[in-house]
Amino acid sequence: MPWKNAHVFSPSTFYVDRVCYTKILPQETPGNCIMRGIVTTLDMFECFKDKVGEVLLPGDVFSFELVPLDNKADKVICGPGLRRNGDEVLVCKSGILRHKPPNLYWIDSIQKRYVPAKGESVIGIVTVKSGDVFKVDVGGSEQASLSYLAFEGATKRNRPNVQVGDLVYAQFTIANKDMEPELVCIDSCGRANGMGVFGADGLLFKVSLGLVRRLLAPQSDIVKDLEKTFPFEMVVGMNGRVWVRARTAQQTLIVANLLESCENMTTQQRQALFRRVADRVT
Amino acid sequence: YNFTYPFSSSISTANGSALVKIGNTTVICGIKGELTCPPSDAPNKGYIVPNVDLPPLCSSRFRPGPPSEQAQVASQFIADVIDSSNVIQKEDLCIEKGKLSWVLYCDIICLDYDGNLLDTCVVALLAALKNARLPEVTINKETDLAEVNTDKLHHLNVSKHPVSSSFSIFDNTIVIVDPTVEEETLSTAMMTVVTDEDDRLCMLHKPGGSALSGEKLQDCISRAVTRHREVSKLIEKVMDSFEPDK
Amino acid sequence: MRDGPNTHVGSMMDVAVSPVLALRKFGCEQSLLSRPDGSSSFVQGDTSVLAGVYGPAEVKISKEIYDRATLEVMIQPKVGLSGVRERAQEHCVRQTCEAALLSTLHPRSSLSLILQIIHDDGSLLSCCLNAACMALMDAGLPMSCLFCGVTCAIEQDGHIVTDPTSQQEKESRALMTFAIDSAERRVMMSSTRGSFSVNELQQCVALSQRASEEIFQFYRDSVRRRYSKTL
Repeated sequence: MPWKNAHVFSPSTFYVDRVCYTKILPQETPGNCIMRGIVTTLDMFECFKDKVGEVLLPGDVFSFELVPLDNKADKVICGPGLRRNGDEVLVCKSGILRHKPPNLYWIDSIQKRYVPAKGESVIGIVTVKSGDVFKVDVGGSEQASLSYLAFEGATKRNRPNVQVGDLVYAQFTIANKDMEPELVCIDSCGRANGMGVFGADGLLFKVSLGLVRRLLAPQSDIVKDLEKTFPFEMVVGMNGRVWVRARTAQQTLIVANLLESCENMTTQQRQALFRRVADRVT
Repeated sequence: YNFTYPFSSSISTANGSALVKIGNTTVICGIKGELTCPPSDAPNKGYIVPNVDLPPLCSSRFRPGPPSEQAQVASQFIADVIDSSNVIQKEDLCIEKGKLSWVLYCDIICLDYDGNLLDTCVVALLAALKNARLPEVTINKETDLAEVNTDKLHHLNVSKHPVSSSFSIFDNTIVIVDPTVEEETLSTAMMTVVTDEDDRLCMLHKPGGSALSGEKLQDCISRAVTRHREVSKLIEKVMDSFEPDK
Repeated sequence: MRDGPNTHVGSMMDVAVSPVLALRKFGCEQSLLSRPDGSSSFVQGDTSVLAGVYGPAEVKISKEIYDRATLEVMIQPKVGLSGVRERAQEHCVRQTCEAALLSTLHPRSSLSLILQIIHDDGSLLSCCLNAACMALMDAGLPMSCLFCGVTCAIEQDGHIVTDPTSQQEKESRALMTFAIDSAERRVMMSSTRGSFSVNELQQCVALSQRASEEIFQFYRDSVRRRYSKTL
């Protein structure tokens, strides 16, 4: 099966080795997340540390003196929602300030609309087949292009069998604000590595980007809780699209509904609900 | 400062008209009076209906068809200026309470668009209102019909003289008075201040754009007050030279 | 941090020296609609506005701007079709949002903001601005600062009322609405009706700036409430 190595979660196979939380972070919004090392002293760490875990609003500013340092380890990396503006760091999204040691900071916000970022894996819908490229809808502001050669084993003679309406699991190789985004279904070694056309049956639905990140986080609580209910397969794209398939259509719908309801629930509420569903099913 | 050249012109079919040129921007305003029933909620008032038209003729940025957003915004601005400044007491337009009153259609057409549309429109409106003459109307008691005496024309009672001054603002640092179209498109914000002869403000219109500090705001208002004097002197002069027979 | 909660100016402290800063009760809810990318409803007393934001989405070729996003604002009145008055308000809201948004981060895309008036009981434009700001924030669009709207009415006797009801608006001699930015509390937008002196204007600006502190604190509290589950 082509999606074998992707984010296919079933109780027996659970892979999150390729896309882990840290890898995707600094790329959520192009422009926000250029890894500009901000050269600074320890003051700045203090300044940030005070606010980690707090809710910040656009327009909030961290200011500090810049002291040139050669030591790379002391640089701070600003992720999504933080922008450098001269000698200050400006918050441009509302959300919670998060920190990952040693020096990565970002704003964790609830958002629905996807903005393509390089390296992220998404679920796209093929909308147009024209000449050498497919146009793929990924939920962003523009359709992404996907070359027919960007599939495992594809050559000019041997074209991949992709139809309009198919779902593809693909990765961005080009994604910035000024260019048309471009997808591929192979990794740098030319292997499919779980990408490609998938989802002959099953159900595709949309959730918020925040929930997707929670699902993709290594050792995600939601996934752990969910896999206790019954076996199913799941593909999660960073663009907020989730595809699930269980043994029966009814079970597929249950999984989809459970995931959608996770959006606004505390851990206790969620666990209670999952337990109730698991009892009902078995 | 670009220099202001108001001309009064005569559109024979209108009751009053004026052509005003500020820099390259040229605007013509015609006023047409018609008789109508006064509004039911204010039986002692008349109406003033302004309309600003930006035809494709005046700039390549305007397309034919229904009025553009800018034209609608300008029309609303002129209507607000008329309401806020009380340039004409609407009670003066009433002929017979609850029965008959004047409605003044003020059509402003831009002939050449080179920025600072609002200032030019306000000057044109004021000049046209001062120039307008309406015939005397009486109601015949017996037939209850209006009789128009076209021999007896009288001027409108222009009670206030609002003058607007527009500013182009570049990031709270540079402020340009009387901007051209190029300066308007490059600026980060626009502001229009309308003052009357008692140095009171009738309108402080700043439709968004970059923020402005209190000191700069004060600075713009004092400039607007100075400009009001210059512009009203000019209008006065042109009016006098145009109607020596009065 | 420039904007800590301790900079918040309480209305009670300044009662003796300047006009009373009395704002009606606010209410706000974010992401209440499922379809838009960001939505909010803002309530000021009985005035209520619902806002939805779509974007960054695909843009029509004719409206495409090569270096920034195209913002469209639509104000839908409670009854009837939107007219010239709404067009003028849309213009004000649009330019205010454009100044706050970092729209150069999403070039060649469209943002649309729809404001549905649920009920108008005075201070409508300021309520629209507040709803717009909350909806843009909810959509996660990058912004350089926040803004809020404050309406002041000058009564016949010269007394200044903030956040007037429509009855107070009708009886007032002059009415002003300002948009204040959160970074330096400067005036982003101003729209007025009626005539007033320069001194009265300055008083109203100062009062709006003080009122904005309260509104920005309210913004912070409501966003904090929203994220409380994921904290």
